[in-house]
Amino acid sequence: MIKIKDLQHHFKIGKKGNERHVPVLKSVTLEIGKGEIVAILGKSGSGKSTLLHILAGFMSPEKGSVVVNGQETAALKEAEQASFRLANFGFIFQNFQLMPGLNAFENVELPLKIKGMAETERKMKVQKLLEKVGLDQVAGHYPNELSGGQQQRVSIARALITDAPIILADEPTGSLDSETEKEILLLIQSLNKKLGLTFVIITHDEEVAAVADRQYRLHDGELVKGEQRHAV
Amino acid sequence: MQFKDQIDFIRQHMKRNKLRVATTILAATMGCAFLIVLASVGFGLHQTITDDVLDNNMVTQIEVAGKTDGDTELAPADIPDAELQQIKGMEHVIAVVERNQPEAEAEIMIGNRSTYSQVVLSSMEEEQKAGFALSEGKMPAKAGEVVVGYHMAERLLTEAEMEKEANGEEVEGFAGSLIGQTVELELTPFLNEGEERTESSTWEFVVTGIAKEPAKDWMTDVAIYADSSWAPIFNEELGLEKGFKNILVYADELQNVGGITDALKEDGFYVYSVTEELGTMNVFFTALKAGLIFVGTIAVLIASIGIFNTMTMAVTERTREIGVMKAIGAQPKLIRKLFLMESAAIGLIGTALAVVISYGISVLANWLVPIIILSSLGEEDAAGISIVISTIPWQLVVIASAISIGVAMVSGWRPARKATQIDIIQALRQEM
Repeated sequence: MIKIKDLQHHFKIGKKGNERHVPVLKSVTLEIGKGEIVAILGKSGSGKSTLLHILAGFMSPEKGSVVVNGQETAALKEAEQASFRLANFGFIFQNFQLMPGLNAFENVELPLKIKGMAETERKMKVQKLLEKVGLDQVAGHYPNELSGGQQQRVSIARALITDAPIILADEPTGSLDSETEKEILLLIQSLNKKLGLTFVIITHDEEVAAVADRQYRLHDGELVKGEQRHAV
Repeated sequence: MQFKDQIDFIRQHMKRNKLRVATTILAATMGCAFLIVLASVGFGLHQTITDDVLDNNMVTQIEVAGKTDGDTELAPADIPDAELQQIKGMEHVIAVVERNQPEAEAEIMIGNRSTYSQVVLSSMEEEQKAGFALSEGKMPAKAGEVVVGYHMAERLLTEAEMEKEANGEEVEGFAGSLIGQTVELELTPFLNEGEERTESSTWEFVVTGIAKEPAKDWMTDVAIYADSSWAPIFNEELGLEKGFKNILVYADELQNVGGITDALKEDGFYVYSVTEELGTMNVFFTALKAGLIFVGTIAVLIASIGIFNTMTMAVTERTREIGVMKAIGAQPKLIRKLFLMESAAIGLIGTALAVVISYGISVLANWLVPIIILSSLGEEDAAGISIVISTIPWQLVVIASAISIGVAMVSGWRPARKATQIDIIQALRQEM
């Protein structure tokens, strides 16, 4: 499903003309199969977010390739990247990244609007999904009227609404308390089982990584294989 | 994204920044209204002058003032009859009227009443084809019958009445109808310098019709209209030459006047028609209107700075949201389109309000300004003057709307482009 081969990337630091090249990813190679949960662990600055950004097509790698569902993503133009993301990826962000001017229902509905789906069809779809993730009671609430857990559920629902096969989660529980963190991780596990979705979770938290089928650790830009799944 | 959803999307954003959007719309409205009102003055003055020209002229009338055959210059009276017949045969010409006037002073008398008059000798048949109409009675059928001007009766005064009128008192003139009355026409040849007063001659006519009231209030018609067969009789009796001759060619429609005028000019005729006057005027007013639209456009451009600022602020404020939209799959062209639509919406709402306001200002100006102008002119000078200060034709609305909405979209273009270039990663790092 996802094949990352010999991925290399570095950042430039310092003023122009006096720049320093700092390697972030050094020959990262990884394969992720359909329906797997894979966690990438790493400290701050280890390059785990850069890996996610390259995987999502937010940036292009300097070397190496990322093939998602048979498509070399670096070969796509900006507009094609956008369409590819809409069809293949759902995103869960640490700080939820909800639209403050839209209520929970409208936030979940947004990707379907971007897709151009007809109103009646998408309203039914959003309603069903909100019931599934337990948000139907707060559908009309705006993000500032929701708890952190509820906001992350809205964010997850938004990631799921397009039926994208891969969910990329960047520190999905980073802004939540431990109780809510457990709730969200259980939801991820249940979605993985029920819907067969592939999750790539970027985290610094060992407990979060524990829900994964496979764990990898990024250290000094190199990917090291870690532990297998533990119960949450 | 469906069009309806795009509209909803920009409406939500505009609602979130009501005050800023409202002030920007106000600036766009003021700019566009200024453009429309300013240009409407050009259109209004053009209409006033055009109406004035058309009111004072028979619009389908072409006056033939003479002819040139290279070296020879012919006065209207000398133009051969065959050539006039040729004009009659031209396409779109409905009548050629030859009006003769004896070189003599005319006085009309009935009993002890009299008035100075003007003798018009013409073919009654051609006059009728050209649109000569009566207010009452019928056209002359016999040699001794005439039609008199609409104001003839009220101008037929006794000596006592003339004195009264000279003292500023009101007089009524001839009471009753002139139809069927016999009037005397006394003609006295005009005197050249050093000539002795010559004898006058008198003829009797029966009035069969009264001409239609002239179109303009200030015109007085005291003419006596008789058949052109009287011209040689008058000339012989008074020892006069040919007299004055006026040749008028009438077209079937205003749009054909230009063509006939040009054709006559090519044949060497000296002609004058309303299209000649309007043509020169139209060039001047088209230039004036273009100038006013240009000046008005500057106001719209100033308003566009407001739109540019508003849209730039909107992009800056919504950087994170744009980043999220791009991350979840929105195409750059969709982002650009949404921002362009927002600036176009500001332009559109501003323009719509401006059109309504401009019509209001136009109505107010057309009511108020003529009152001020006419009151400063005094009652006598103001009589018969109608002033249109401002006119807003649909073409002006279309031009102003196109300029205003176009400028609004151009103002929004750069911010919209900036929005598409927002880096997703940087945008997602922004604090809420």
